[in-house]
Amino acid sequence: MSEIWLIIAGLAAATFTIRVGGVLIGRRLPSEGVWARALNALPGSLIIALVSVSLLSGGPREWLAALVAMITAMLTRNLPLTMLAGIAAIFLLRQM
Amino acid sequence: MTNAQEARSEFLSGAGRILPLAAGAGVYGLAFGLLAAQAGMDGLQVGIMGSAVFAGASQIVAVERFAAGAGALIAIIAGLVLNLRLLLITASIRDIFAGRPFWQIALGAHAATDENWALMMARRASGQKAGYWFLVGSGASLMAVWLIATISGALIAAALPEPRALGMDFAFTAAFIAIARSLWTGRRDLLPWTVSFAVVALSLWSGVFDKSWALILGGVSGAALAGFRRDE
Repeated sequence: MSEIWLIIAGLAAATFTIRVGGVLIGRRLPSEGVWARALNALPGSLIIALVSVSLLSGGPREWLAALVAMITAMLTRNLPLTMLAGIAAIFLLRQM
Repeated sequence: MTNAQEARSEFLSGAGRILPLAAGAGVYGLAFGLLAAQAGMDGLQVGIMGSAVFAGASQIVAVERFAAGAGALIAIIAGLVLNLRLLLITASIRDIFAGRPFWQIALGAHAATDENWALMMARRASGQKAGYWFLVGSGASLMAVWLIATISGALIAAALPEPRALGMDFAFTAAFIAIARSLWTGRRDLLPWTVSFAVVALSLWSGVFDKSWALILGGVSGAALAGFRRDE
């Protein structure tokens, strides 16, 4: 099972380097201008990309459930409630 | 409040508020534990992997590749590609690391995941105070849930419900939709977000990029457009 330990060590080292690397790279970038605007916009863009990958890998049921979640999010701005609505919607849609 | 009191209250606030998201991670943790047990890992290995890597999706991908017969190098690369987005995540919160010693940078960076980072950004977008200790507190809470769930999964390794059968595989998508709503600041976000979606769609449909790369390309493209746009 030494290969398992190799995977654990390798992935841990690579992931830690990526995480700390992000902080160090981020610190060397100026606080205004093109880079700053891009970094400020990054969280929203990345969240949208995460949702996009998930929805494009799914089908009409996932899209409908996403719509339910989106409406819940817009009406309530409540995270647990939106999760509950999305899970309930996809569960029911998959029974059909 | 003193600095120590403020740090403590932010730590506790993060540790509590992450729990709904941690519950979703917990369900996946059980599934990961099962997979890991099938790949021949014991509870100790699952625990060490969870605390040292602490990036659920990459752990699942790496162990899945290994169980599928790929070598260690391929398994590591598959997980690593999935984790490249963490570079963007920690770079986007560089302000909370300003002036901190290296051990705190290392601790905070290691605590950063999609879930607690997104929650932190959402808190800030709605005008709440959520800084370094919020990230560390929510990360600690998330790690505790992740370790309990993955080790339990590996030890029980019995007939656990499959996440998909309960609709739990949609938990993260729904959470990210709620978080996107919190991050929305107005019509000026529309174009970068549309570009982000379009680039993900084109990347996936091109057949050239897998999901990990499509995600990174989409996120970077939307941010790049916002950077180069002259609107301020």
